Amino acid sequence: MSHLPPTRRPVLKALLATPLLSAAGRAEARDYTSAAEVLAEVDRLEADLDERLSLLSAGLPAAAPLAHGILADHARHREARVSLRRRLHLPGSNVDRPAPPERRGPATIEALRARCEELVHAYAEGLPALGDRVAVDVLAHAMVDDARHLAILQMWNEAEQGG
Amino acid sequence: MADDRRAFLVATARAAGLGAPMLALLAGTAAPARSEENDLAILSAALMLEHHAVALYGHGLQGSLFPPGLRAYATEFRGDHQGHRDTQVAILEERGAAAPASRSDYDFAGLPAGDAFIRAALEIEVAAQRAYTALISGIRTNDYLLSAAFILIDEVRHTTVWRRVLGLEIYSASGR
Repeated sequence: MSHLPPTRRPVLKALLATPLLSAAGRAEARDYTSAAEVLAEVDRLEADLDERLSLLSAGLPAAAPLAHGILADHARHREARVSLRRRLHLPGSNVDRPAPPERRGPATIEALRARCEELVHAYAEGLPALGDRVAVDVLAHAMVDDARHLAILQMWNEAEQGG
Repeated sequence: MADDRRAFLVATARAAGLGAPMLALLAGTAAPARSEENDLAILSAALMLEHHAVALYGHGLQGSLFPPGLRAYATEFRGDHQGHRDTQVAILEERGAAAPASRSDYDFAGLPAGDAFIRAALEIEVAAQRAYTALISGIRTNDYLLSAAFILIDEVRHTTVWRRVLGLEIYSASGR
């Protein structure tokens, strides 16, 4: 399944000079055109990540505390998005929870890290399309939570690959 | 934001050279308006924090104050901050504004090597993360908002890594 955005654009030319590949050094970003599109993409990516987290914690008990904590954060974020949709007069989410088995992806740490990175980038790339200061504040705080999850998963992945 | 966290943020921001109007925004005693003037104020404040971080990491790397096993992280994070700095200088210049220069009087001389130096790095990272989080909704223009969001992601990574190195909690099951 392709989830590549229809258009890409430069973030900022100056960022190309960034010496190392950081989040801020990404050269391209998705152009979201509406708050509804941003929220739908966050819903989709978060639901997919949650499915993989549940699978991981079922098969790897050591991962359960982190998985449960992330799932609790996501439950809060979902509630916040419900409020935002009301505020912005948008229809509710139509993401399946849980996803049908045929749409579930692998639950490796690398797969989780990659999906979490997509989610964090969707937040960042979506902020300019929101057009509402409260919405920016709410999604930016959720983005910070997921950026922390991403950093933890990156360190876990590095540790696994390092032996 | 709790009073002690706000006081910490203001103290660190003051040490980085932020001016009174931005300190008032970070202290919560003034509300940022979404205006070009405010964008420029946020850019300048963020730039001062980036200058401070670049200088601190530079001092630590030059003086071998980071433990050998952590130099790679320090080098990576200094590179991130240099990228953030250059980005914000470019945005300011694109808008015809003068980018504030780095202070010439940072006082890092008394910082010892090892964990104490990592704690100093963590402090500036936490201050940057909180400043961007507090101010991001006041940004008016899309390009700067997008840029600030990706910078904030970097700051969260830096903070999380240093907290783990220092054995501090990086995650609580309560979700906070």
